[in-house]
Amino acid sequence: MATTAEIQPRRIYRRVRVRKQRDVLALSPVANMLLNGLLILTCLVTLIPVYVIVIASITSEASLSANGYRLWPEEFSFSAYTFLFSKGSIVITAYINTIISTVVGTILAVIMVGLYAYPLSRDNFKFGTFFTFFAFFTMLFSGGLVAYYMVARQILQLNNTLWALFLPSAFSPFWVLVMRTFYRLNVPNEIIEAARIDGAGEWRTYLQIVVPLSTPGLATVALFSAVGIWNNFFNALILVDDARYYSLQFTIYTTLNNIRFLLENADRMQGLVNLSDLPSQTFRMAMAVVTVGPIILAYPFFQRYFIRGLTIGALKG
Amino acid sequence: MSLGVAPPLSPPVAPATVPKKRWDVYKVKTNLAYLVMVLPGAIWLILFAYLPMPGIIMAFKTYRLARPPQDELIQNTFVYSLMTSPWVGFENFRYLTLSTNIGNTLMYVRNTIFYNLAFMVVGLVLSVALAVIIFEITNRFWAKLYHSILFLPYFISWIVVAYVVYALGSAGGIINNDILAPLGMDPIEVYKEKIFWPFIFLLANIWKYTGYGSIIYLATVTGIPRELYEAAAVDGAGKWKQFTAITLPHLMPVIVLLQILAVGRILGSEFDMFYALPNGAALVKDVTYTLDVFVYSMLRTSTPLGYPAAAAFVQSLFGFILILITNYVVKKTRPELALF
Repeated sequence: MATTAEIQPRRIYRRVRVRKQRDVLALSPVANMLLNGLLILTCLVTLIPVYVIVIASITSEASLSANGYRLWPEEFSFSAYTFLFSKGSIVITAYINTIISTVVGTILAVIMVGLYAYPLSRDNFKFGTFFTFFAFFTMLFSGGLVAYYMVARQILQLNNTLWALFLPSAFSPFWVLVMRTFYRLNVPNEIIEAARIDGAGEWRTYLQIVVPLSTPGLATVALFSAVGIWNNFFNALILVDDARYYSLQFTIYTTLNNIRFLLENADRMQGLVNLSDLPSQTFRMAMAVVTVGPIILAYPFFQRYFIRGLTIGALKG
Repeated sequence: MSLGVAPPLSPPVAPATVPKKRWDVYKVKTNLAYLVMVLPGAIWLILFAYLPMPGIIMAFKTYRLARPPQDELIQNTFVYSLMTSPWVGFENFRYLTLSTNIGNTLMYVRNTIFYNLAFMVVGLVLSVALAVIIFEITNRFWAKLYHSILFLPYFISWIVVAYVVYALGSAGGIINNDILAPLGMDPIEVYKEKIFWPFIFLLANIWKYTGYGSIIYLATVTGIPRELYEAAAVDGAGKWKQFTAITLPHLMPVIVLLQILAVGRILGSEFDMFYALPNGAALVKDVTYTLDVFVYSMLRTSTPLGYPAAAAFVQSLFGFILILITNYVVKKTRPELALF
């Protein structure tokens, strides 16, 4: 049960202490320097992939066809980006689809996960055990891909709709379990009892007391579902055949796949395809950059929330 | 609303039984409200998780498309077809183990298990190491910055990673142009050689999940009482001794929990990664196909639906059994660590 001590979010990074004397537990300066060096190196290596696609997207087409991909190209060009937003209708359609799906899907996820998890965190909910198991069981057992594929297409009729891009991702038993713990640790029973004594109904208590106290948790759910839907490839892969409903990830995957296949088999297909008709190589890399762009730009702003939300909710899983 | 102790209720109740009865009505009201809250999520679970479950009987049938006649009660083509399709027992499973197919089936099972084990072990070691190192770093600002950067890959999609693999490893890629050519070595082509793929998947997995995986360990390490370390330091324990004697035992519950879940998923796989990174390259299929990709590819070719359904059934069932066994073993040895 929650006590007042637990309401305080715990810091997960060590506090810098004012040092009058050397801390017994602090690393020796040499070890500290070595670890810092190791982490700086790791961080640089981690960023290589991002660097690679960014640099490839601003390599000029001429130097790409002459020298291939390079760490530092001979000639830079931003033409891929102007091209992308001027006439690339497939990208723009996919972008709009993905933005709509992400916004609607995230709102649904926060509402559904938030509401489902709250009663499970309350001791006075008679069916708490049942509904916890009802959600948890789906993490252990599933009908398998084939059954899901048939049900989603033939019974739910999701194929070739915008719904297909977000509805399958709009709820998650995993986040229900995280949020349940989060409510338990962050919403003290006393406050809910006080609201009850003042005559607030369950809905009013939830919306006016519980939600404001649970913002970090709900924000974490929102962020992870937003990123999950933005990056989702599978929904479009199995449920969408119509290019009007392609998601961003699916569009860029198809492009990469088609072109790699054509280039590798160009000798066998001579005369069948005109290679110069294909989207240029830099254009493709620019598509990839534009896909990660919003995430990288938003990242610094949201990262402090989710680390806190994740740790508090996941602690006693 | 600050007047009464209990909320206004209707209908009025007899004075003698006031406390108990009021409480009962209240309880019903509360539970009704709770049920309504649970409803949207429960509907989602029914539609997307429970509705497909009966569909596993497809594994024991030869699925034939049949249009429901006008007077039939069930008008859904899929449900009707599923009901009218003949039972064939284990025929679909036999197809997967025919002498011509058994090699492939086993290979994909082997790939799935091998990759999962590798990811589990390497992921665990690196995530714990990262959590401990970040915790030890004296400067909090830098610790945060490192962690933020290492967490970033979690948010980058596998499709974009597929682009990175292409830009680095294809015939005209950076590895050939900037590393191998200057050294005078033969060029590589990842889409044509099997040897690279285990390393690519392992690296990609480390890259994407180490930062994310370390979060929960970091939170646990931070929660360990400082006095324990101080006492150990006074008694002359070095950093390594402190790690094995204090940190590791405290991390155990979390580690066990996560490993139980991972064992349950040992026949599953990160579909996006295994499907997108090789980019449909047929030459490396033997090392890149996992059961998920295999099921999907059967689903999308003209193979009778019973075959992928049988494979998917084995996958679901084994995953379920494995998680029960692991949990049982943990429960017998360390009851407090069991999942349920």
